[in-house]
Amino acid sequence: MMQLRHARRVSRLSTGALIGLLFLIPLLYVLMISLEPSSQFISNPLRPPTSPAGSNFSQAWQQGDLGPQLVNTVIYAVAAAFVSTALSLLIAFPVARSLVRWSSGIYRAFVVGMCLPLPIIPLFVEAQDLHLFDNRIGYIILHLEVGLPLGVLLLTAFVSSIPRELDEAAWLDGSSYLRYVVSFVVPLAWPSLLITFLYSLLGVWNDIIGPVVFLANPSLFPVTRGIYNFYGSNESEWTLLAAGIIIVSLPVLILFVASQRQLLRSAIGASG
Amino acid sequence: MTEPGPLTGRNSLAHQVANPAAAASALLPGRAGEEGAAAAARPAPRRTRPQGSARLLSMPSRLVMWGGLSIGLAVFVLFGIVPVAANLVVSFTNYSGLAGSSTSFDGFINYVHLVTSQRPGFVASLVATVIFVVGVTVVQNAIGMMLAHRLQGDSRTAAFLRILAFLPIVLGVTVVGLIWLLLFDPSGGPGTSAFSALGVHSSFFGSSTAALPLVIVVQVWQNLGFTMVVFVGGLKAIPHSVYDAAALDGVTPWRRFRRVTWPLMAPSVTVNVLFAVIGSLTTYNLIYVLTDGAFNTNTLGMLAFNSAFGPSADLGFGAAVTTVLFVVTLLVALPLATALRARERRLLT
Repeated sequence: MMQLRHARRVSRLSTGALIGLLFLIPLLYVLMISLEPSSQFISNPLRPPTSPAGSNFSQAWQQGDLGPQLVNTVIYAVAAAFVSTALSLLIAFPVARSLVRWSSGIYRAFVVGMCLPLPIIPLFVEAQDLHLFDNRIGYIILHLEVGLPLGVLLLTAFVSSIPRELDEAAWLDGSSYLRYVVSFVVPLAWPSLLITFLYSLLGVWNDIIGPVVFLANPSLFPVTRGIYNFYGSNESEWTLLAAGIIIVSLPVLILFVASQRQLLRSAIGASG
Repeated sequence: MTEPGPLTGRNSLAHQVANPAAAASALLPGRAGEEGAAAAARPAPRRTRPQGSARLLSMPSRLVMWGGLSIGLAVFVLFGIVPVAANLVVSFTNYSGLAGSSTSFDGFINYVHLVTSQRPGFVASLVATVIFVVGVTVVQNAIGMMLAHRLQGDSRTAAFLRILAFLPIVLGVTVVGLIWLLLFDPSGGPGTSAFSALGVHSSFFGSSTAALPLVIVVQVWQNLGFTMVVFVGGLKAIPHSVYDAAALDGVTPWRRFRRVTWPLMAPSVTVNVLFAVIGSLTTYNLIYVLTDGAFNTNTLGMLAFNSAFGPSADLGFGAAVTTVLFVVTLLVALPLATALRARERRLLT
């Protein structure tokens, strides 16, 4: 019995280690070669660097123009996610409360919208016709739809759980609609708002097709397209590319560590 | 969850995070989100406008409410609904998107070209799509199930490994794609070295036999965390008493899994299978980073994208491929969703 338990423990530990390695090795490898001088990488890439040097990072930062691109990415992702989350709430509240006609029809339209594909070709045509092509505001507007259906569905469900008497009381007291939504609903709906925001943020942050189709001016490129181009023009300089990958990943990594609880919980909720 | 459609942002990783819930609730009546639907569908007392408690709002407040709602709906219609219809319109033209070229309506000529192989690559694309979708769906769910089984516990190690498995989704397709290109760099990546130590020599992502299986591996690696987390949710929903009964009967672990766990997890199987199928059918962003559709990895989504934005600049043809992709997705997803729901009812009642 003891032996069996021991064997089980060993097998549990080893499968755990295996899973860890499956996800860690690729990341650790990138981290390792980002610290190698390129001369060592060519002769013996798999030997850990003896004297880790940070020079790859500064060189990748400059050569890849990563600074301005990271700024672009932050602007696009934060602006699109913020506006998209705000619009989701401004749709969800009246719909959840049936303050307008066709409320249930609007809700159903978003359920369908959640499943609709976003075909890139007509979006490109629209971007040109509406003068949204190759400019910052346009790029942000084109990404507002990323989180909208999810946000409306999540927030409608949430608002429905707030007792209706509360808004009626506030309005009878003379509170304005916007003030009530901002100072009362927003603090209550915080978890759903955060999921909507993170979902849109990551969607815009990591988009690679959008930057290829909607932007032409390199000074407007977000960092996904930047690092992809960097790969294209420095294909043999793997140590630089690895450093670039680390730089680009750091902001989302930090965000992820800070918000993993919410993200994982929302995914678990999906299995309902 | 993952995603419908050759999309721009929607198919990015975050889509994988939360979309499942909504997609599931939409495809399958009676799932997450139904609460909201029920609330929204609550029969509002028929009143002349303003509706319901909106009568308590002052006129300026009502205008603000209408303004916010209208802007939101305009965005949704303009960038969520119109493109789907517009795709059909574009598919009947020879639009190139290039300045100075004229555009005319060509009727079904793009579709005729698809069928008559005037434009090469369509049949190869169908083959690649089928292999990709089946491969991703099977491997992702099998490994996701194993991971979930091992990582369902409440220990710190399990929690840490769950977070780790989720990381690729957060890092995004571009970073994940580049990492794997590094690993299998023909001139000395560790993957390359490992395989040549075993006597296997290949140019991997540059090989017409190895590229598609590798692309499947990376796609699975990228989305495994999501699949696993959904399965963990399903496992946790199984009451312990069921296992206690099985333990009394002295069944082996495999039989216990096969006879007890697997059937009781039917709802999460439905979600994961549908998301894997729809996601792998319609996304191509990872393939774009890894091979750009070269070396037999030109799935339908990739073919549509490259027809439109590659050297041929044929948006009409690309839109026609997209239409085919949508129809295929519908024809696969709807019967599949129905069958999986029927399976749930059979197993759970």
